[in-house]
Amino acid sequence: MLGFLTARQAGVDDPLRLRRAESTRRVLSLKLNPDRDVDRIHGNGINTIDIEAVEGRYMLSGGADGVIVIYDLENYSRKLQYTCKAVCTVGRSSRYVHKFSVETVQWYPYDTGMFVSSSFDKTMKVWDTETLKPAEVFEFEGNVYSHHLSPIARKHSLIAVGTTDPKIQLCDLKSGSRIHVLQGHRAEILSVRWSPRYDHILATASADSKVKVWDVRRASGSLFTLDQHNGDKSKASSEAVNTAHNGRVNGLCFTGDGLYLLTTGTDDRMRLWNSATGENTLVNYGKVCNESRKRLQFTVSRGCSPEFVFVPCGSSVAVYALHTGELVTMLRGHYNNVDCCEFHPDYQELYTGGKDCNILAWVPAPRAPDVEEESKSANQAAADQSSVNPAFQDAWSSDED
Amino acid sequence: MTLFPRKLFNDSLPQIVMKHQLYSIHNDKTLVDKELNKLREQGELLMFQLGFDADAFGLVFASDYKAKVLAGEDGRATRATVEKFLEKLPSLCTELSFSKDKMLKEFRFTDSEITQLVKSGVLTVRDAGSWWLSIPNSGKFTKYFIQGRKAVLNMVKKSKYSEVLKTELEERRTTSHVKFQMKYHIHDIVGAELVESIPTTSGTLLRFVDS
Repeated sequence: MLGFLTARQAGVDDPLRLRRAESTRRVLSLKLNPDRDVDRIHGNGINTIDIEAVEGRYMLSGGADGVIVIYDLENYSRKLQYTCKAVCTVGRSSRYVHKFSVETVQWYPYDTGMFVSSSFDKTMKVWDTETLKPAEVFEFEGNVYSHHLSPIARKHSLIAVGTTDPKIQLCDLKSGSRIHVLQGHRAEILSVRWSPRYDHILATASADSKVKVWDVRRASGSLFTLDQHNGDKSKASSEAVNTAHNGRVNGLCFTGDGLYLLTTGTDDRMRLWNSATGENTLVNYGKVCNESRKRLQFTVSRGCSPEFVFVPCGSSVAVYALHTGELVTMLRGHYNNVDCCEFHPDYQELYTGGKDCNILAWVPAPRAPDVEEESKSANQAAADQSSVNPAFQDAWSSDED
Repeated sequence: MTLFPRKLFNDSLPQIVMKHQLYSIHNDKTLVDKELNKLREQGELLMFQLGFDADAFGLVFASDYKAKVLAGEDGRATRATVEKFLEKLPSLCTELSFSKDKMLKEFRFTDSEITQLVKSGVLTVRDAGSWWLSIPNSGKFTKYFIQGRKAVLNMVKKSKYSEVLKTELEERRTTSHVKFQMKYHIHDIVGAELVESIPTTSGTLLRFVDS
């Protein structure tokens, strides 16, 4: 680390290099920290988590009982031990609460004044955070599995919704209209995701084993369908042409730069695709256990040098290196199935929620103090020195003042 | 490769290894896949779809395959067609299966020649009008393979806590159902992820995965 710092100071290295190396080191040392904890509000399993993109301070979670909770992740107390408090909840006593389980929640990408939640009670609600009342309710004919708002769109404010109906509906936030429909799938849509690179590209995953990529500006069908054999008809049986997986496809995630798309399916495989051409990069992750009948929320790290994928696998979270497919580690800590996970890019922390009603925060293990420091601190107030997080230590004022 | 028992089949089959057995030997699956594809493009390795599992691919060296197939064809009427087929071997290495148009146009085989190839075992029927590349007389191999895999898996399942140390499993006497060497089967079940391989202080532990 000191080597990187001096190289950056001297101008030998790009400043980005230090940041990437340190982020990667931190992600590799993720583990449960007894000092960091999230308030337990949900009485049932947690289905979905979202951290807002603007500040990374507030986290939304949606539960199987229809309850939505907002947590404050920032630690302004000067103590090391911190519980992320719930700022407000839409509980069972609220008039507007969802009747059945909430499947997806997402903050409005530009500020935390609004968030959107969709649930198995066949509605999608757009909430005002201040008053916790829905500003708009969209009703559908089938259970809503997943919805997504484009994180970068400036020209449109469309929400893509995946329901039990094979048609993907695009709801417009500005006008409230829902006439734009994307047809092409043959079974229920389990997951939808906008590309973080282009604001008109949408990827959808369905129970008919296909993943289609759409350009919403075009009137005709999808741009292309992902094919796991890359057009090589000899490998598949003749029915399995053009399928992304040999089973239902239930998870979709773009990498941070939008160049690659990851998909997981009930055939226990995870595949990495080039998002521009739709080509299967054939990275072999091995068996990624997947028994989910609904959407699986998994996430990719951002800002590290070999990127990592965090996939919930049963009651633990598997961490794979993105491009080599090697299993780095399994994060064990939940008591029951893990349903969702979300990565906080600024602090390199992972938040996971599961059926055991807990949200666990995986924090990079703090560096062990150096040998030199230890002997010095033995003379000074030893307890003080090592218990304060080095980030909060006062390194500027001099002792002589 | 040396684990493959040759005498069992009276030397009529080339040495076959499964792709997932290689995953058990090397850690990096993507690298194994890339190297195999390279060898296939160079025309040195052949890959076959063995039919009992969608993901199980068998690998045979091209030279071995040629030798064994020709040896098996000695004195049979279909020998000429098979020889012609084998001459196209380098271009065959990259394909797993063939469709009818490909056979007729690219390789210029007639219908009766295709029938002869199927009779001799080099091609097996996949669909109406398409064929898998296959190894003649490999039925016995597949049978023993599946039998042995089941037997070894049962051995692991029946152990206390459904787990057994790898070294201990290698020492165990195999029942009459298991025709291949123990190590061959261990590589197979570890690579196919039918057992979880856990590193412990007394060696690798294999635990049965209940899926």
